[in-house]
Amino acid sequence: MSKPARVERDLLVFSIWAVLGSGGLCFLLEGFSRDSYLLSLIGIAAIVASFVAHFIVNGIFGVGFGPGEAALGIGVFGVILMVFIGGWAIGALSESDYWSGLTLFAVLALGLPVYLSTRYGLRGAFSHFHVRHADFEDSDQ
Amino acid sequence: MTGLHHAIWLPLSVFFYAMVMLYWVRVSIAGNRGADGFFSASHGLPPWLGALVTAGVSLTGWFVLGGTQLVARDGFTLPVLVSAGVLLALPGVIFFKRLWFAAERLHVSSLADVFRLYYGSPFLVVVTTAIAVLFALGFSGLQVRMLSGLVEAMTGGAVSELAATTIFGFILFAGVGIGGMRSIGYFGVIQTVLVLSAIVFVAGFAVVSAGGFEPVNARLLALSLQPETARLFSVGKVIEFTAGLGRGGDYATSHTALANLSLAFALMGFQASPLVFKILFSTRRPSGVAAGQIWVTAGFLGALIAGGIMLTGAVGLVDDGFSIVTLFQGLHDRSPWFAAWMFIGVAAGVQLLAGLSLFAAAEGLVRHVYRPYFHSALSKAATVTITRIAIAILAVLAMILQTIAPVTLSALAALALPLAFQLWTPLLGVSWLGWITRQAAATGVGFGIAGVLLTEPLGYQVLSFFGLELPWGRWPWTIHSALWGMAANLAAVLIISAITNRTVVRQEAAEIRALFSGLLAISPKARDWRSFAWSIVIAWFFLAAGPGLIFGNTAFVSGEGETTAWLLGMPSLWAWGIAGWVSGLGMIWFLAYRMEMANPSQAVIPAYTPPLKLRRNNTEIEQERLRILFMAGAIVFVLAVLAAFIFSR
Repeated sequence: MSKPARVERDLLVFSIWAVLGSGGLCFLLEGFSRDSYLLSLIGIAAIVASFVAHFIVNGIFGVGFGPGEAALGIGVFGVILMVFIGGWAIGALSESDYWSGLTLFAVLALGLPVYLSTRYGLRGAFSHFHVRHADFEDSDQ
Repeated sequence: MTGLHHAIWLPLSVFFYAMVMLYWVRVSIAGNRGADGFFSASHGLPPWLGALVTAGVSLTGWFVLGGTQLVARDGFTLPVLVSAGVLLALPGVIFFKRLWFAAERLHVSSLADVFRLYYGSPFLVVVTTAIAVLFALGFSGLQVRMLSGLVEAMTGGAVSELAATTIFGFILFAGVGIGGMRSIGYFGVIQTVLVLSAIVFVAGFAVVSAGGFEPVNARLLALSLQPETARLFSVGKVIEFTAGLGRGGDYATSHTALANLSLAFALMGFQASPLVFKILFSTRRPSGVAAGQIWVTAGFLGALIAGGIMLTGAVGLVDDGFSIVTLFQGLHDRSPWFAAWMFIGVAAGVQLLAGLSLFAAAEGLVRHVYRPYFHSALSKAATVTITRIAIAILAVLAMILQTIAPVTLSALAALALPLAFQLWTPLLGVSWLGWITRQAAATGVGFGIAGVLLTEPLGYQVLSFFGLELPWGRWPWTIHSALWGMAANLAAVLIISAITNRTVVRQEAAEIRALFSGLLAISPKARDWRSFAWSIVIAWFFLAAGPGLIFGNTAFVSGEGETTAWLLGMPSLWAWGIAGWVSGLGMIWFLAYRMEMANPSQAVIPAYTPPLKLRRNNTEIEQERLRILFMAGAIVFVLAVLAAFIFSR
């Protein structure tokens, strides 16, 4: 991908997350703060919409997630998971918080194979995880 | 919720915003190649980006901070604001396509350069630069001041207005001074989507806090039935022959139909300003002009204004205690993350305008005034460095004005739009009316400036300082200064064009005329539509922005007294304004595509190569010029002090 195209794609990705991602996070926090599962769901829907929009932009420009993006995504996912587990461990979660968190993780966890299968096909997605020894041997030769 | 929860979100959001901005500054620096990259992004910004950022910069911050207040205070007496999206987009439809090709042909990247080459008029170059400076110091400065006040209110005084202003100043310089035009374009995309979403959320929160649209509407109806507030729901007269505000004119009755029409002209000044042309000339193709102006600016932004901004203002109208500041304060107490996010959105809109205006002003001062007239030997790299210094000085000057001279700031801000509107005549001369001569364009703008200054507080206060009391005040006959200026401007242009030789034009002007009558000529089919186009434009202005607004007072009302009902479930003038916005959308679509004023063109324009000339060493002349400038400045200052000492009361 040419440099100007890369810049345009990055601008679109930043814009998507600035609006949908940040807005979703605000709704999610509002849901946790007010113990409102509905508000949390709106937040989760906005975050999912951000991912979908991100996929569409990637599709238009014919690229996948960059290494930095993948690292950031996995890192944020890990941090949120740790905070959730910590909150659960000290008993700081209400029932609504608990269900909101579970819904978020379920959606994100489900989203990964769905994304991979839409991008690489079912078999191709599986191959991304299942690396055969023969592949290594071929590459060694 | 702990205090930390409240305290952390706003600084965290500002920090995150600044980090994202610095990232794009870094990307911009990597993309800039030499001075051209800094000043015009090497004419490489994508068309969609130009269209989006043009919409974002088109007064979005002003509408949130100032427009909502105006509706909350004056009700629906200025229905022209509802169709502001169309008014903001109209100049772009008329000028952008042809001006882009003119700039491409002459290989320049700013409006001042186009005027310099087309008209050969230093006066127009200086005026264009002065207007950019006015936008940077006054118009944007006023918005940054309001924003800083908002920060102080949200943090309960923990962050003072001065501290907030200083932080904004630093962020502005970091974004614009380092990255240049490319940085404004790139980060402008993110700023635009942020401010547009902030408008939606501000309106949503305003309505939710008022209990929904139905209760707001019911209270609006009740207000319209009370004798003392009924005037807020109608345009009183076509014109009121008063001497103007401050000279016996009553503010309550000043919003006549002609006040609306002349305000519409002032709004149309924005896209004639040198700021917006910086974005236009930095794009690689003009193919996004029509779609951007119609669907993004007039359509999407217009819908946000007609719906979101008016709704927020309406909530302020029915609830005295409501304003943007109280909305943010309340939100900050309940949901600090939402308050921080929406604040960043509003701040992004203001920063986009402030950054662009600072950049255009500094470029004008250094590249269009200082370099060509006082230091032509200045290298490109040195020009960039001095422009950066000028941006920093202007940012500091704006901060000082915001802090210690708010009245002067307001007076300067009020001049920006009406003065920018005076550039319509030279712009028309370049793009459509080739018979406007150099002398006519320059004199017309001069008369226009005089007309504006004499009907705005700054002008008559300066004259009053020297002991000359004008018999009129602000906006005599309830006509905005933009229209007074344009009346003088047009009269001068018509008379002087008629009496000067129209066949003598500069070579560059002849090139542009040949281009417009050749490659970019309007098709015969479009020419056949000309009288129809004039008819619908005049009819639209009459009904949606002019005397026809009187019909809107009762167009969607049934019954009288206690049985009064609004047929469309909203104040009649609001509905009339929305009808004006929708029909205006159709009008500018017609002008852009059917009349071929802004339709995409694939014509390839080679850059004009001026005949080679021997370069002379102008150092001595330029030094002499600089000396004369300082001497003249000193003499004018002494004379001004003497005149004030002798005549002022």
